[in-house]
Amino acid sequence: MYHNPQNQPGTQQRAPAQPPEVLSTKDSLYISDALSWELLAAKKAHNMAGECQDPQIRQKLEQLSGMHHQHYQVLLNHLQPQQQYQTVQAYSPSYQ
Amino acid sequence: MHFQQQGMAGGYQNYPGAQAPTIKNPQPSAGQQPKTPALNDRDRLNDMLLTEKYLTDGLNVFAREASHQSLHRDVMQILNQTHHAARELFNLMFEKGWYTLQAEQPSHIAQQQQKFTGYESQFAAPPHFRL
Repeated sequence: MYHNPQNQPGTQQRAPAQPPEVLSTKDSLYISDALSWELLAAKKAHNMAGECQDPQIRQKLEQLSGMHHQHYQVLLNHLQPQQQYQTVQAYSPSYQ
Repeated sequence: MHFQQQGMAGGYQNYPGAQAPTIKNPQPSAGQQPKTPALNDRDRLNDMLLTEKYLTDGLNVFAREASHQSLHRDVMQILNQTHHAARELFNLMFEKGWYTLQAEQPSHIAQQQQKFTGYESQFAAPPHFRL
């Protein structure tokens, strides 16, 4: 019969079901990529809006530019340094 | 073999035997785009739609590969909003009369429906949940 190790006193704690709030090297590469995409998209939409004849299209493009700017900020937030350092330290004491 | 003439843009043709009817908004006279080498409003809208489509491809991979939950959640939301933006651009282009759709023949749809209804017998059990 299966026993949940958590229910047995004195045994090891169950392993975390999800990875900690730490950026992997892969995450970091994807974030850099996505930041460049969002920046380019925001600049492009803003630039095009300025050239548009139709006010409805101009408004839509400006709105999109704002959306990409906001996405940029959300992604940039994930590069906050303190959080990464503290969490990694908690996981491995040898981390410098 | 003979061809029936296509209906006018924006019209819905009589169905049986007709060629696929087109679904299209009329282009407003003010919306006539200059046909010069320079980019016009239609080109700009199209270019931005391409950009959003490209972004959804990249973000899809990013969301799938993200490590921890909060990053995954944020990227999923950005992906979702980018899909939404692409959809809005498509709708705007349709509204301006720059997108034409061809309606499928009802007889073809009925054929497919019959075929795949027959295939349902290949599933082991009826579904336990509904979307």
